[in-house]
Amino acid sequence: MSKEKPPRFFNRELSWIEFNARVLAEACRKNVPLLERLKFLTIVTSNFDEFFMVRVAGLKHQMRSDPERRDISGMTSKEQLQKISDRVHELIQIQYSCLNNEIIPGLAKEGIVYVPPEKYTGKQALYADSLFQNEIFPLLTPLRTDDEEDFPHIANLRLHAAFLLKQMFDIPLLTQTVSGENGNASEADGENESSLPLAVVQIPTSIKRIIWLPSDEGTRAFTLLDDIVRMFGTRLFPGYTVEETLLFKVTRDADFSVDEERDNDFIEAMEEVLVNRQSSVPVRLASNSESETIRHILERKLNLAPEDVYQIKGIMDLATLTDLISVEGCDKLRYPQWKNFWPPSIPHDVELWNEMKHTDAILHVPYESYEPVLRFISEAADDPGVLAIKITLYRTSGNSPIISALERAARNGKQVTAFVELKARFDEKQNISWAERLEKAGVIVVHGIARLKVHAKILLVVRREQTGIYRYVHLSTGNYNEKTARFYGDLSLFTCNQEIANDATVFFNMISGYSAIQTMKRLVMAPITLKSQLLSLIERESRRSTPDTPGLIMAKMNSLGHGEMIEALYQASCADVRILLNVRGICMLVPGVPGQSKNISVVSIIDRFLEHARIFYFQNGGSEEIYLSSADWMPRNLDRRVELMFPVLQEDLFRRIKDILSVYFSDNAKSHYLQSSGTWIARRVLDPEPEVRAQEYLYTQAKTQAEAQNTEIPREFIVRRNEK
Amino acid sequence: MAKLEAVVEIGSTGVRLLIAEIASADNWTIIDRSELPIAMGRDVFTSGTVSRETLMQCLHILKRFREQLAGWGINQNDATVIGTSAMREARNRDMIIDRINVKTGFKVHVIDGIEENRLMYIAVIQALQKEEPKLKKFNSIIMEVGGGSTEIMLLKRGKMAAVHSIRLGTVIIEQHVKAMMGSEKDTRRLLEEYIKNTGGSLNEELKLDRVHQFIAIGSEAHLVARTIGKKISEHCWKMPRSAFDSFVEKIQTYSIEECIAQFKIPYSDAEAMSIGLLAYKLFISLTNTEEVIVPDTSIREGVIISKISEPNHLLREEFYSQVVASALNLGKKYHIDEAHGSYVRTVALQLFDQLRYELGLDRYSRLLLEIAALLHDVGMFIRTSDHNLHSQYIIGHSDVFGLNKDDMVIISNVARYHRGEMPTISDSNFYGLPRADRTLVLKLASILRIADALDRSHSQRVTDFEIDLRGETLLLRTKGTHDMTLEKLALAEKANLFEDIFGYKIILV
Repeated sequence: MSKEKPPRFFNRELSWIEFNARVLAEACRKNVPLLERLKFLTIVTSNFDEFFMVRVAGLKHQMRSDPERRDISGMTSKEQLQKISDRVHELIQIQYSCLNNEIIPGLAKEGIVYVPPEKYTGKQALYADSLFQNEIFPLLTPLRTDDEEDFPHIANLRLHAAFLLKQMFDIPLLTQTVSGENGNASEADGENESSLPLAVVQIPTSIKRIIWLPSDEGTRAFTLLDDIVRMFGTRLFPGYTVEETLLFKVTRDADFSVDEERDNDFIEAMEEVLVNRQSSVPVRLASNSESETIRHILERKLNLAPEDVYQIKGIMDLATLTDLISVEGCDKLRYPQWKNFWPPSIPHDVELWNEMKHTDAILHVPYESYEPVLRFISEAADDPGVLAIKITLYRTSGNSPIISALERAARNGKQVTAFVELKARFDEKQNISWAERLEKAGVIVVHGIARLKVHAKILLVVRREQTGIYRYVHLSTGNYNEKTARFYGDLSLFTCNQEIANDATVFFNMISGYSAIQTMKRLVMAPITLKSQLLSLIERESRRSTPDTPGLIMAKMNSLGHGEMIEALYQASCADVRILLNVRGICMLVPGVPGQSKNISVVSIIDRFLEHARIFYFQNGGSEEIYLSSADWMPRNLDRRVELMFPVLQEDLFRRIKDILSVYFSDNAKSHYLQSSGTWIARRVLDPEPEVRAQEYLYTQAKTQAEAQNTEIPREFIVRRNEK
Repeated sequence: MAKLEAVVEIGSTGVRLLIAEIASADNWTIIDRSELPIAMGRDVFTSGTVSRETLMQCLHILKRFREQLAGWGINQNDATVIGTSAMREARNRDMIIDRINVKTGFKVHVIDGIEENRLMYIAVIQALQKEEPKLKKFNSIIMEVGGGSTEIMLLKRGKMAAVHSIRLGTVIIEQHVKAMMGSEKDTRRLLEEYIKNTGGSLNEELKLDRVHQFIAIGSEAHLVARTIGKKISEHCWKMPRSAFDSFVEKIQTYSIEECIAQFKIPYSDAEAMSIGLLAYKLFISLTNTEEVIVPDTSIREGVIISKISEPNHLLREEFYSQVVASALNLGKKYHIDEAHGSYVRTVALQLFDQLRYELGLDRYSRLLLEIAALLHDVGMFIRTSDHNLHSQYIIGHSDVFGLNKDDMVIISNVARYHRGEMPTISDSNFYGLPRADRTLVLKLASILRIADALDRSHSQRVTDFEIDLRGETLLLRTKGTHDMTLEKLALAEKANLFEDIFGYKIILV
């Protein structure tokens, strides 16, 4: 970067790309186990897929509809697209040089050898041949593309093989066989750029992509499904020779908005969107580098510019290599397994009700087990005293034990209200089907609020007990999804606090159509008061800060991109408030600029688990406050989504969360620091300082505590008998 | 086991739900509340009826509430559903109530303005428990500006001096101004005039410039309190009058959109806000209060308290004394002979108490008798002859705090028959009453007649007497020696009703 004045904001997209660059950096670390490195490489690819489908597609729309518009950093969509293309090309270069020069040779050294078709041994070729003939061939549907008007549909993100064909002279009639009823095929050929016909085949997804070949003792050889299709593809076109072959993948626009006016038919509208998504505009073409000719044809037919085309030197579509990562018997090439532990603060073998009534509890996944949440919902479903269960489900799997517990609860006669967010971007298809299942069981399913996504994560259980009605609330930074709870770092709170319970009730009233907006005491809700509350907390910190006793804000989130929030942080920095930010992904704030953000530093942690918790700490002149939230500091979260922020009030939990938040700022193993130039620099362990790896620290801590709990001599006996 | 109580209020601008958990009569907590806007006031105050759209909306909301209640295990039959001013004034209210019952199972009870006042009063007293000593020390006004009516209570050192439910509401004013295509200035002028006139008549009952405490309730006041007030207890805010005034003036310059953005309130609330707050401010300007107190309570809390606190004897007596104070004040307005009134009241109550096993009447009937005794001669204000008819008219068209329209009709009938002929079939005011009420009127009137006869001379000569029931005779033994000729004559004339009803012959000795 040149010596020009640092900007006031970074561009959102470029900042996101730098996040993916940090993921890539993790893949390039030599001290990370080999298969873990491969995993980071696959994540880089799937991240880019999503980025192009949503963000790049959006920018392309904008370039057509409003080309003059500039973002908060002052860039037009065209400028952004150019820079995105430049940087992504660079990163993919690095990604493949890592794959080809380090990972694949590294795996070979460990006895896992990738064998491309050119290097098949006789035995392997025979095996591949029979596999193709018996299992793959029947699944292939070749499509000819010679008709200009009727270019076949290329499914989003699916790997395809394209073949440039040449007719053998002595078998003239086959043209008709291949192109079906279209007798004009040969005439159409003449109009093509290349005079040779092109055929496209989708690589089937019903067969595993990694194919293990017979190999010598001590090594395991694998090849890819697409390799075999590429090699034996000629057989698809009897009467033709295959002149050139190309593997490619198209990314399409996924940024559809549902027509909100049709509120009563929301599900129907969503289903239409899902169908449309298959046929939306292409935004990117990725291909291997085998055939320039075919690439040009595709580029033209898909209506893409050269900067939208990404040439890949090596294995295509790393996102689908996950089978390789979990290959059996290679544990030393992976991180040692980190078990999760039952949280010491939550009783193991008695029902949760009584314990929760007296004390709040925190659950920190994935270091701690998600089991307490599942057990809590399951106990609520079967407990005769429970009157109602209310829950927000954002991204949940259909076979989740949560869904079946809710179904069971409804069948047990409890009032169950499930708030199902249908707009969670890539999961609608499964959402719609399990939403129907819940409705059949008698669950009140609320399908969203017009124009707002419900992103808050909250569970409320109402239970009638001997001494009155009790409400149990669980509030979380992460979704009710036991699968992601194994690798997303999230915090959640179990509480019976009256004020929070009242607010939780009011919250559900508001989002399930029982009530207009009401005020809440402890919970803060977006898009109503969350932004103004955060702004006033930052402003209060500035007000209480003096040069002698500077204020302190520590905040951890996934993304920071809200203009007003960033300006507020700048002002606080100018009022001598020290601001430590831990931002995993997008950060549009420019730190370390004198007169703007001198006192702000931004760290980002990429490690085994996805950092997902949002924690906000305010020193508040000594009367400290900590909040947890489902919301990032982004316009979409604070202005266009229903989110919640909740305080941690109980002293011991407060300390614990403050510790968790603080440890990230001393990490020197997996952290990058953002510079005022926009680059991120990895922090290194400086002698004589010990290595601090935040996630490892948190894991060890959870483990030690769980073990201490197990060896502790019980101080009281919990007697099981029914109280009269 | 703790009990749950649910109240639904169908108001002019919204349908509101409150659920409370009752541990005991004086220990309960609100555990759920919700509200959804409805344009019932706008309908009724412009066209006189509830429109079809509003009815559908109302049914839709009530179905949601029914579901919400089910989440607490509450059946809709166990919820108390009240309708206030808009429902009260709607010409098609009977059909609306029926539709609601058929479609949702809720049974709506339309309460009258003075009943609203009573519910509000008990809610406010509960919320101000800690402030109560102060309430007794100063003259105060309790006021709520609603969509279709404004409830006002004037308290003279803690005693109810007057209560009113006036037809001034945010929706009414708004519709009025809209109909005239008026501007904000017109709204202000309209309000100013109305409130000045109302203030004039209130002044008769309690000198407003001696009011030193202003208690405002309602959502608009609550919003101001939350924004600029100081919290003085769990359910109560306080702020200096000047702060309240300048806040209200600031709001007047905001557009509706600004109000929504600034205070995060729904559109319907924002519409009502500036008018409602201006009304408070104008009323405050008539008083000499230094601060505005805003308790966080409403008529819905009042319903809950009134449902659960029935057995609390002390509270009830305190409340009844407020009712009596309010009736006395009404009497003063019509210059009644207070000495006679209170004498008749004493005697009547004495008779009531001594005969309570004969009467088979409850404590509440005793209160009605007490009020009737105090006010039976109020018609003298118009003319002595036929004054019982004038009394009936005046009572039937006045407000007494704590008594609803049905109560007032009974009292007016009792006053009507404190002298003169027995009811005949041509008296539709009497025969229009349900049978139980007719019996009640006759029983109370028969006692009142005896008590009145004992002070025929209006000189309260018989100060002490005993009642002696012997066989078929009721002996009234006076103590001391008086010339009882006049009283005996009067008794002969007026005891007939008592003798007919109870079968006792009355002898004064």
